[in-house]
Amino acid sequence: MSSEPALMSLAAIAKAIAARQVSSHEATRSCLHRIAQWQPKLNAFMAIEAESALKAADEADAALAKGENRGALHGVPLAHKDMYYDAGHVVTCGSLIRRDFVATSTSTALQRLKDAGSIRLGSLQMAEFAYGPTGHNYHHGAVHNPWKFGSVTGGSSSGSGSAVAARLTFAALGSDTGGSIRMPAHFCGVTGLKVSYGRISRAGAMPLSQSLDTVGPLARTAEDCALLLGLMAGADAEDPTASTLPVPDYVAATTASLKGLKIGVPMAFYVDDLDADVAKVLDDTIAVLKREGADIVKVELPDQRQLTAACQLVLAVEAAAFHKRWLIERPQDYGPQVLMRLQNGLAIPAVLYLEVMRWRGPALAAHVAATSGVDAVLAPVAPVAAPTIAESDVGNSPNAEAVIQRLTRFTRPINYLGLPSLSIPSGFNAGGLPIGMQLIGRSFDEATLLTIGAAFQRATDFHERVPPAA
Amino acid sequence: MSAPSPKDIRAVADSAGVPVDAEVAARIANSIGPAFEGFAPIAGTLPFDLEPASFLLAQAVKVSR
Repeated sequence: MSSEPALMSLAAIAKAIAARQVSSHEATRSCLHRIAQWQPKLNAFMAIEAESALKAADEADAALAKGENRGALHGVPLAHKDMYYDAGHVVTCGSLIRRDFVATSTSTALQRLKDAGSIRLGSLQMAEFAYGPTGHNYHHGAVHNPWKFGSVTGGSSSGSGSAVAARLTFAALGSDTGGSIRMPAHFCGVTGLKVSYGRISRAGAMPLSQSLDTVGPLARTAEDCALLLGLMAGADAEDPTASTLPVPDYVAATTASLKGLKIGVPMAFYVDDLDADVAKVLDDTIAVLKREGADIVKVELPDQRQLTAACQLVLAVEAAAFHKRWLIERPQDYGPQVLMRLQNGLAIPAVLYLEVMRWRGPALAAHVAATSGVDAVLAPVAPVAAPTIAESDVGNSPNAEAVIQRLTRFTRPINYLGLPSLSIPSGFNAGGLPIGMQLIGRSFDEATLLTIGAAFQRATDFHERVPPAA
Repeated sequence: MSAPSPKDIRAVADSAGVPVDAEVAARIANSIGPAFEGFAPIAGTLPFDLEPASFLLAQAVKVSR
């Protein structure tokens, strides 16, 4: 048992609280202690609710003492990206426009975690309206990477990546529309799961692009992601796009062996133009997976540049449509970069948008055909480790746009195809910054990704490393 | 399919009900142009009876290797 409960994994703390080896109060106090240390440097939290969190923790402890256990997350303190509606709470969406927006209902994903007994620590920073891949936020300030202050966290789930990496919360919800879970997971050295489109209800989650948005966790381990996915996945009357497929036992999947699994490594695109450190980590990851029993083969994927373009077009149009009223009435209340991204959607004719949407089925079918011989595809999340906040600041750095385009190359195709992808901490660069690899799966086959991720984590310790004290 | 010019963009944005000035239109053209070019090989090539909902069918296909 760790002397600092906040350093435990989600699965471990949940078991320890249930067994009354650690109290919810101790776990919450431990997180709050670390938050007090780290928040001034990271800016990872939007709101810290210490008093109400400790009160909820004491109630959870009292319930357990009476033999009442609410569920798999009983008494576990969590904080989430500030875009999940939570009735009675302000949900800023990282914006000025929604600075005072009080939700009147609770998002399905969040409610399912509450029903399992989790308690609220506060809310986490994010890119304004989840429309930014770095962690910059014009209104609320950039979030810093706990491995190196002054480096980006990745976005848009910037606070989620930073807070999980620094052990300020045991896990956090993020959202992934173009890479917004996988990039913070990669840059901050945590495990992030972008689920299949439709696997988790989007009801009550701030929309960005209804065809691409996915809800998912950032956590310390694949097992933690499995635990959260199992609690959140499944049909929802509030979201007709939520799949009615059965929810497998994802935690059980994390105990399986890699023997007999075949993992593809792309022959092009995802292996092109990689920084040397990222290329080495890819090679090292392949070696570990081989050693653990997986067969590694080369795969030739369809043209990923077309998928990237398709993702950009869909995202631009749908985001502009959601924001149209505010683009007319309150353009001055957006940060300049987010305003520019939203305006991009105004340039795309309806016929082109529909053409891009019509191609989505054939594009996915082509991917399925190209990967029919493998259980998953392994690729870097990004060709580089975290750039600095300064060099990726579009307003102040002349090369920032090129830096940002490079960051999102490997994530957008997966959103357009609606596929699941698990980002796992896989190594570090020479400067001590984390590097993640993504495992891309078949539609609704998150279980296989979690099997591979957990096996990799049993063989390595990258996910257990903690950033040096603030 | 070629990327839209700033003039095209002003017309489309105007018809969308959110007019933009010439400077913004030029910036949008520069920013979104690569996406138009990236999708150009597909644009205008899709078969007649293909609906967006074909994505849901492709998602539901059971694959066994």
